[in-house]
Amino acid sequence: MELCDTPAYELAVLLRQKRTTATEILNSCLARIEAVDGRPGTLEPQPATLPEDAGKVHAFITLMKTHAMQQAQAVDEKLAAGEDPGPLAGIPVTIKDIFCVRGAPATAASRILANFVAPYTATPVTRLEQAGAVVLGKVNLDEFTYGSSNESSAFQPSTRNPWNPERVPGGSSGGSTASVAAGEAPLSLGTDTAGSIRQPAAFCGVVGLKPTYGRVSRYGLIAFASSLDCPGPVARNVTDAALMLQAIAGPDPQDATAANVPVPDYLAVLDEGVRGLRIGLSPDYFRITYPNPETGEMEEQPVPEEMTAAVRRAAKLLAEMGAEIVEDVPMPNTRYGIPAYFVISRVEAASNLHRYDGVKYGYRTPDAQNDLRLMYRRSRGQGFGPQPKLRILMGMYVSAAQYSAQYYNRALKVRSLIRRDFDQVFDRSGRYRLDALLTPTTPTTAFPMAAVYGNSVMMQYADQLTVPANHAGVPGLSFPGGLAADGMPIGLQLLGPDFSEATLLRIARSYELATESDAWRKVKPKVLR
Amino acid sequence: MTDYEVIIGLETHIQLNTVTKIFCSCKADSWFDPPNTNICPVCTGLPGVLPVLNKSAVEKGALLAAAMHAQLRPLSFFDRKNYFYPDLPKGYQISQYDQSLAFGGYLDLPMPASAGRPAYVRHVGIIKLHLEEDAGKTKNVGGERWTDFNRCGVPLVEMVTGPDLRSADEAAQYLIRLRQLLRWIGVSEADMERGQLRCDANVSIRPVGATYLNPKTEIKNVNSIESVRDAILKEVERQIREVEAGHKIEAWTLEWDEDKQVLRKMRSKETEADYRYFREPDLLPIRLTEEWKAEILSALPELPLERRQRFMDAYELPEYDAEILTSERRLSDYFEQAVLAYRGDPKRVSNWLMNEILRMLNERGLTADALRLTPTYLADILRLVDSGQINTSTGKSLVEKVEATGKSPQQIVAEEGLAKVSDDAAIRAVCQEVLSESPKEVEAYRAGKQTLMGWFVGQVMKKMRGKADPTLARQILEELLS
Repeated sequence: MELCDTPAYELAVLLRQKRTTATEILNSCLARIEAVDGRPGTLEPQPATLPEDAGKVHAFITLMKTHAMQQAQAVDEKLAAGEDPGPLAGIPVTIKDIFCVRGAPATAASRILANFVAPYTATPVTRLEQAGAVVLGKVNLDEFTYGSSNESSAFQPSTRNPWNPERVPGGSSGGSTASVAAGEAPLSLGTDTAGSIRQPAAFCGVVGLKPTYGRVSRYGLIAFASSLDCPGPVARNVTDAALMLQAIAGPDPQDATAANVPVPDYLAVLDEGVRGLRIGLSPDYFRITYPNPETGEMEEQPVPEEMTAAVRRAAKLLAEMGAEIVEDVPMPNTRYGIPAYFVISRVEAASNLHRYDGVKYGYRTPDAQNDLRLMYRRSRGQGFGPQPKLRILMGMYVSAAQYSAQYYNRALKVRSLIRRDFDQVFDRSGRYRLDALLTPTTPTTAFPMAAVYGNSVMMQYADQLTVPANHAGVPGLSFPGGLAADGMPIGLQLLGPDFSEATLLRIARSYELATESDAWRKVKPKVLR
Repeated sequence: MTDYEVIIGLETHIQLNTVTKIFCSCKADSWFDPPNTNICPVCTGLPGVLPVLNKSAVEKGALLAAAMHAQLRPLSFFDRKNYFYPDLPKGYQISQYDQSLAFGGYLDLPMPASAGRPAYVRHVGIIKLHLEEDAGKTKNVGGERWTDFNRCGVPLVEMVTGPDLRSADEAAQYLIRLRQLLRWIGVSEADMERGQLRCDANVSIRPVGATYLNPKTEIKNVNSIESVRDAILKEVERQIREVEAGHKIEAWTLEWDEDKQVLRKMRSKETEADYRYFREPDLLPIRLTEEWKAEILSALPELPLERRQRFMDAYELPEYDAEILTSERRLSDYFEQAVLAYRGDPKRVSNWLMNEILRMLNERGLTADALRLTPTYLADILRLVDSGQINTSTGKSLVEKVEATGKSPQQIVAEEGLAKVSDDAAIRAVCQEVLSESPKEVEAYRAGKQTLMGWFVGQVMKKMRGKADPTLARQILEELLS
């Protein structure tokens, strides 16, 4: 196995045993990037596809090669000097380009921030660096994270799915999950506002964890919906995700909403198995509700059989290992997750986008010299792509004084109801007393490029099974659960009570062990075959 | 001609005197600093930053609320007020909306007697009191618009009165009392020229006896108490003129031009702007626990108007004295300590304070607590005068000497031999000297010009450099001249 495909926890051991160096690991990743990434996304108008793009992933917006080499060298020097270089020493990580990293562009995949170079570093990135990780570069995403396919990025070509470059990688952390799936880096830092880590993790066959709201600091994360945004790890296996969470979790004096809850030792309990854990299955996560595009009426449909089957098989394996499976757990407000999200996230997004006005940094229109209002309008009109504009329009509408009771306040009530669903099933003295819920991560596997993009309502419904955890603030973990008939990965999701990341990782690790010798585990993404 | 009643409400912005800004650790006061020097990613609203609440701003805000007799909410929230302006780097201001730090409150404003009207008290209700961050400043330079973000994130309390004030004088008086209170409880320097206390005035008129409210105009950009008074007077004149001419008053926003002493129309206000308030998701609610509240309120001193009344009741001071002595907290503390040390007539302490001490404070730009002449020393001086050991003018000169040296009055009297000479023989010798040197005056006195006695005493005092007991000198002179 090449170094770039080796799990992070194994690289850490190899490094300490002096069987490799941080520079060697980095070179292996750089070689892989050279081989599979292709041209980076740019703002320049170019043909959507060129012949040379075949089989390419296009994960990166900014490759920070020199920076990474210096960091790798520093790790090697520390190791040579007998110093402790940190738990993530020499492990390359990619950073979703929605985090600030001092001295590097922070584009948010938007024209309006394309020229913005961050003067400070986001807390989770600082913590990765303090743990010795090597920051490899900034990877693509949907513009301002607004999407579930990566196609809305202003930096084109947008990221492709390494399992099939004709398909989307999911989003918005598609650059993160594609870079990890393609072996460009063992780890990536993503964000999840409605499923933006878990959905692309499922689509790309990797592990993605949305921690409890407040578990990981948001300082330096360019905000989408501040009350929902969660930074979290993307990795190729559960152990690596635990290793990364360990480094980035914890209170932060620069984020008032970061929880002052002690961080447990995630790795210590990883192999404790599932005996005695109560894991629930909910019919409300085996069906999706979406508006009929013709009539607008809500329609219900079961998720495809192969997704359900993957969840059922996982439940069976976990039961065999001693978990107690609880059937028919009611989560009745799941179906309202997307409509409520539509309102809440847009109100916060519109407000969070106010600062991009052409006055201080970022894009300023060249053609409104002497009129302030015109400069605002043109700068924003030319700088924002369609997705931010849609969110501004919707957000301004539903938060207007005459509508906010009808939409925003109502959505907040729905949010409380969704939280209550979780509280009831996780209640230690309640009827269900669950340790976790097991669900499919997504209603479908990765869809083809351009199949959904353009229909922003249907695009949003890709997050139907992931968004309730964001409303409720609870943690959610997506991990690979086999391959579908179309050859694309299936993601399984575990949802647990606040700060139960250790339990979720433990359950997923048990499943990983139980399926270790499965045939699908040997299949590589198409771009690596 | 109709008689009109003037209706005024004041909207004030009070800059809290915290060391750092409300949501970051930049220095709060930038009055002496060049533009854009006290700024950081947080207060300039860079992508990805988050606010962290300054506890001290909450404490000072709560102290002010308590001093205004407002109710503190155990749970209050921050909200976003969304609008675009180049001095607002985030495109929203973090403020408080429907669940602010405190609600209610009032100030009972004593109005002095004036021509044709006895003194009275105006009850001024507070209808809004909340914490918020300040915005920056912009100015036009040549063809360019420049922005200074130093002021972004400076903690403010916005405090709005009901439409309860009835004259420009009352409005000015309210600001005087508010400024006194802010300095008294130590939450703001309250210097209007430096923007630490800002005021917008809402003004309307109605026929006397009416109970409805007419459309009001809002006067902005008034940065002294005098200007507030002048601007309101001008605006009331204008409104009366308009109404008398049969015109309607429109809800304009007016700007006061300090130099030209005129009001200028800034904009019409047909509709209220929609700021799309919603809860600030980046901050937790403020939980004012009973313990925290008790800790904050333990710093709440007796308030100036209460102390003023007590000085009148307990020390039987005239209102004039009580007013001056409570104009500033440290001065009133000084007075009370001196009274305690002196144990004599408080009015006597007041007289010395208002004459000697205040002059000294003004001349040297000091506050009473900074004096080397402590309240105890002042009491000592008064007792030296009372007991006849020194005369009044020596006492007054002692005030300066104690302040200059820091020595006790007793020590200075001993060292400089300032004690009054009560030795009959010594004074008698000087008296004889004076009389023999002044034959003409002696002749005139004996011819009946009794008023010359004062002149003789003065001559004796002069020769003895003020140390003679003047009563004794007079007795001896009368005896010698009889």
